[in-house]
Amino acid sequence: MAGEIPPGPPSMGQESIPFWRDGRVLGVLAQIAFVIGFIIVAGWFVSNILNNISSLGSSQFICQDGGFSYRCAFDFMEADAQFDISETPIDYDPSDSYWRALGVGALNTVKVTVLGIIFATILGTLVGIARLSPNWLVSRIALWYVDLLRNTPLVLQLIFLYFSVLLGLPQIDSAIQPLGLPMFISQRGVNLPSFEFMPSFAILMAFIILGIIQAQVLWVILGRQEELTGKESNRLTWAIISFIVVIGIGWIVSSNETNQAVLTPASMRIREFDDFEQIVLNRLDVNQLNDIASDLEEGLITQDQVDEAALKICVLRDAPSETNFTSQLRRADIPYEVKRTTRQDQSTSSFIEGDCEAYVGPTAVIAAERDAMDNIIAATPEDDVVNGGAATMLQLTENPIRLSIPRIEGFNFVGGWKMTAEFTAILLGLILNTAASIAEIVRAGIQSVSKGQTEAARALGLSESQRLRLVILPQALKVIIPPQTSQYLNLAKNSSLALAVAYPDFWNLGNTTINQSGRSIQIILLVMVFYLSISLSVSGVLNWYNRRNQLQER
Amino acid sequence: MERVQKYLNVILNSLKVLIPQRDRMQLDWRRFLGENITYSGWIMAWLAILTWITFSYTTGQLQSAPTGTIVVLMIWGLTVAMTMLAELQKRHTDWTLWMKGNLYNSITNVQVSLLLVLLILAAFRGFYSYAYTNASFADAVPPTEREYETTVEAVAEAGGPNLSRMPANLEFVSPTESITNRAGVVVRETAYILNEDKTVVTVENRDIHTGATWGAVIDNFSNLLIFRYKQPNLVWRVYAVLIFIAVFGVASTFMYRSERLRSSRLLSGVSLFWITSPIIIYQFLLGAGEGGAEAFFGRVSPDNTLGGFLFSVILALMAIVISFPLGVLLALGRRSEVRGIPWWITYPVAGLGMVYLLFTNTPTLLEGARSNFGILLAYWPILIPVVAYGFQRTWEGNVVAAFSTIFIEVWRGIPFITVLFMSIILFPIFLPEGWEVLNMTRVVAGSAMFSAAYLAENVRGGLQAIPRGQYEAADSLGLSNFTKYRLIILPQAIRLVIPAIVGQFIGLFKDTSLVYLVGLFDLLAVANTIASQPDWLGIRTEPYIFLLALYFVCSSAMAWYSRRLERQLGVGQR
Repeated sequence: MAGEIPPGPPSMGQESIPFWRDGRVLGVLAQIAFVIGFIIVAGWFVSNILNNISSLGSSQFICQDGGFSYRCAFDFMEADAQFDISETPIDYDPSDSYWRALGVGALNTVKVTVLGIIFATILGTLVGIARLSPNWLVSRIALWYVDLLRNTPLVLQLIFLYFSVLLGLPQIDSAIQPLGLPMFISQRGVNLPSFEFMPSFAILMAFIILGIIQAQVLWVILGRQEELTGKESNRLTWAIISFIVVIGIGWIVSSNETNQAVLTPASMRIREFDDFEQIVLNRLDVNQLNDIASDLEEGLITQDQVDEAALKICVLRDAPSETNFTSQLRRADIPYEVKRTTRQDQSTSSFIEGDCEAYVGPTAVIAAERDAMDNIIAATPEDDVVNGGAATMLQLTENPIRLSIPRIEGFNFVGGWKMTAEFTAILLGLILNTAASIAEIVRAGIQSVSKGQTEAARALGLSESQRLRLVILPQALKVIIPPQTSQYLNLAKNSSLALAVAYPDFWNLGNTTINQSGRSIQIILLVMVFYLSISLSVSGVLNWYNRRNQLQER
Repeated sequence: MERVQKYLNVILNSLKVLIPQRDRMQLDWRRFLGENITYSGWIMAWLAILTWITFSYTTGQLQSAPTGTIVVLMIWGLTVAMTMLAELQKRHTDWTLWMKGNLYNSITNVQVSLLLVLLILAAFRGFYSYAYTNASFADAVPPTEREYETTVEAVAEAGGPNLSRMPANLEFVSPTESITNRAGVVVRETAYILNEDKTVVTVENRDIHTGATWGAVIDNFSNLLIFRYKQPNLVWRVYAVLIFIAVFGVASTFMYRSERLRSSRLLSGVSLFWITSPIIIYQFLLGAGEGGAEAFFGRVSPDNTLGGFLFSVILALMAIVISFPLGVLLALGRRSEVRGIPWWITYPVAGLGMVYLLFTNTPTLLEGARSNFGILLAYWPILIPVVAYGFQRTWEGNVVAAFSTIFIEVWRGIPFITVLFMSIILFPIFLPEGWEVLNMTRVVAGSAMFSAAYLAENVRGGLQAIPRGQYEAADSLGLSNFTKYRLIILPQAIRLVIPAIVGQFIGLFKDTSLVYLVGLFDLLAVANTIASQPDWLGIRTEPYIFLLALYFVCSSAMAWYSRRLERQLGVGQR
C-alpha cells in the first residue's frame, strides 16, 4: 500500500494557497492595518489635545521666564504649594513646593497602605480561620462579617466610619479609655502610647548588634560541641540568655551615658534632682507635692499661687533635652512652666535676666555657657546679677528608649502616637474591607489542602504545631499568596478613597494641586505613574513568585 | 398541623434524654478531666481565663438585661445538659448530635457559644433600641417655629418651672410639654436655655430621642430613589419603564421556555434587545423633543435630573453593556497568536528612529536643560531600542497583543476614582474644540473602559478554559477564524464567565457610589445632601444605614442569582 502513494513534493498544498488566505500573511496585514488605525485614532486625539492646549492659552506649559514650551510642563511644581496639610510625616510648610507636598501625600499613602496590609492580613487570617471553626456560631458570625463587608461599597463604609462612628465619639475632654489602658479614643481620633528613641539609643543599638553577633557565635560553638559530644546542650536557651545579658549591659551603659544637663542659679543650691521638688515645696509651704491638689480643692492655695511657684525652665524648641527633663518633672509631679526659645543665645539671655530658673541643653553647650556666664558675672557689679551669682550644673540621666504616654494638655493631646480621625477612618475602613476578602482567600487556601495530608501528618506522629508549620501551611500558602497579593494591590489602590474622608494621601493632594494650579494633565500623569509603578512592581513580583512556584510543581 | 406534631415529637424525643437511664450511663470522671482539662497547663490557664470572662460578662448582662439573659441561660443550660446526657447515654437524636458537633464540641466552645449568644443579643438589643424604641419617625422637626425669647418671670407665670436658681448657660429640660413616638418614648420636649445675664431665656422645642431619626430617610425616600425624576413630567417615564420591564420580562421568560421558539430568530432578537436595553431605557428616560422637564416627553439633560438609585443602576448597566464587546475584543487581542512583526524589521526601525531623534531632538533638549536630570532626560531616544527589545521579547512582535495587554494593565493598575476624575477633567481635552460632552457620558465612558479591562481578564480566563480540542475541531471543519470564534469558542467561553461577569457587575454597581466625588448625583450624593437640609441638619447616620441596607440587599440578591446561574449553566461540573 505504502508504495502506491506517489511521492509528491510536500510543499505542494501550501503553494496552492492564495496569499489572501495565508494565515501568516493575513496576520501581518491585520497588524499593519491595526497600527495604521491606531496611529489615525491616536493622532486625532493628540491633535485635539494640542489644539485644546493652545486654545486654553499657554498657561499649562508656561516657563519661569514667561515663555511657552512643553519642556516647562512641570516647572509649576517648583512654586509654593500654599495649602496646609493636616498630617505630615516629614517637615512641610505651605511655603514648600508642590513637589514636597506631593511627596508628603505619597508618604501618607505608603503609611496607610503598609499598616493596612499588616493588620488586614492578621484580621483576615483570623476571620478566615473562624469561617472554618467547628463552632457553628463563630463560623456564622464570620460569614456575616464577610458578606456585609463585601456586599456594600467601600466608600460608603469609609464615610459611615468617619461621620457616624468616629465623629460621633465623645469630645476630647471625655475621651474613652478602653479597659483603663493608657490610650484615648475621641472625636479627634486615637492616641496610643509610643516609644521615643533618645540620642543614646545609638549606643544601645550597637549593643544589640553585638548581642546578635555573639548569640550567633555561641549558637555555632555550642552546635559544634553538640556534634562532638553527642549531648544536647540547650543552645537556644543559652543564646537567648546571653543576648539578653548583652542588651541589659547596653541598657545600663547607655542610660548612664548622659549628654544633657540643667543649669541653675547658684542661689538655688541644686545638687540633685530631688532639690527641685524641695524648692517648689518651700515656695508653696506644703509638706508634700500630693498635698497641692487637695489644698487647691479646699481653697488653701490658689491656682495663681501654684503657677507662680512653678519651676520656670527654658529649652530650645524641639530639643531632646526638653522631653527628657519635663518628663522627669512630670513623673515627680513637680509643677513647671516651659519657655521655648528658638535660638541658643536667647535662652542664655533670658536665664541671665531671670526669666528662667533652669536651663536645659546638651552637656557641652551648658558647660560652655556656664563658663561664659561666670565671666559675665565676674565682670558685673554684684547688684546687677539677678540670679545671684554663678550657676551650678546638674547632669541628667535618660534611658535610650522612653515610653511616651499621651495626655491632655489644654485642648490637645501631647505625647504618644497620634492617629487623627481621618487616618483612623481610612485605615480602619481599608483593614475591615480587605480583611473580608482575605478571609475568603485564607479559607479557600486551607480547604484546598486535602484531609489526607492532615491524616498523614498525624500518622507520622507530628505535633499539632509541626503539622501546621510543615505540612498544611506550605501547601495552603501556594494557593493563598497569588490572590492575596492582588488584594494588597487593591488595598493600595483603594487608599485613594482617602479623598472621601479628607485624609491627605497622594491622590487627595494631587487633586488639591489640580484645583489650585489648574495643571490637570501633568498631575493626572503623575498620579497614573505613581499608582502604576506600585501596581506593576507588585504584579511583577507576583509573576516571578508564580513562575518559581510552578517549577516546583510535580 | 401534621408538621407541628412532627416537630413536637422531635422536641419530646430530644427531651427524653433528660431522664437518665442509669444502666446506660458511662462516665469516667478521671478520664474526662484528663482528656479535656488537665492534659496541659496552658489549657488549664486558658480555661480559667475564659471561665472568668464568661462569668463576669454573664453577671454583667444579668444586671443590665435580666429577662433576656435568664432565658438565654436557661436554654443554654438545658441544651448543654441534653447534649451531655445524650453523649453519656449514647442516645443521640438529630438535635443533640448537631449541637454536639456544632455548638458544644469542647469546654471552650460550650462557653464561647454562650458568650456569643449573649453578645449577639446585646448587639441586637442595642440596635433595636436605636432603630425602633428610641427612634423618631416624625416627618420633620419644627423647632424654629416655637422658639422665642422670654424672661425667667414669664416662664414662671406661664406655669413653667422656677428657673431663677438655675446656673447660667445650663440647659433645663422640663417635661411639661412632650410628644411621644409610636413606641411610647418621649421624642420631643421643651428646653429652657438661660443666657449669661440670667434674665433672658430661650424656650426651644427639640427632639431629645436618643435613637435614629428615620424621618430624614422617609422624607427623602423618593429623592434617594429617583431624585429629580419625581417631577410629574418625568416620573411617568420611570413607571412606564418598570411596567414595560415587568410585562416584557414575563413574556420573554415564556419565550425562552417555549420549545417551538428554541433557537429561532425571534429569540435572538429578544436577547439582543435585553442586552442593549439599558441604553434604550436611558434614552427613553431622557425623553425627546422640546420643552425639557416642562413638557410631557421633553428632552432633559441627565446631569441635573438623573440621580439617586436610578442613576446608580443605569450607570452600572450602561457601563457593563458597553464594556462587554470591548472586553471580549481585548481578551481576544491579548490571546491573539498571529505572526508578529519580525525582529529584522523592528530592530532596524528602532535603531534608525533612535539615531534620528538623537540628532534632531536631543540637541534642542540639551539647550533648554537646567539640571543634570534634564541633561539625562535629553538622551531619552536611547530607550527606544530597549522598548523594542522588550516588545520583541514579550510579544514576539505581535502589535495587537501588546496593545491589548498594555491597555488592560494600565486600566487595571490605576484606582477607579482617578479614572472618574480623568474622565471628567481630561475627556474634553481629547475631543475637538466645541464638542459638548455631558458629565454622564464622560463617566459612562470612563467606567466602561475601566470595566472592559477587568472584563477582558475574565473572558480570557474563560477562553483559556476551553479545551484545545474545540479549536482543533473547528479548524478541521474548515471554519474561518471569525466563524470559529463566533460559533464555537465564544459561546462556550462566555457561558463559562457569566457568573464572573455578574460578579463584576456587582462590583461596578458598588463602585458607582464613587461618582459623588466628581459631582454627580448618585445615591451617596443625595444622602449627603440630606445633612444640609434645614429640617435634617447634620443627619448622616440614618441615610447611610439605609444605603448600606439597600446596597447589601441588591448586591446579595445579585450574588445569589449569580450562584444560581452558575448551577444552572453547570459551570465547574464538566
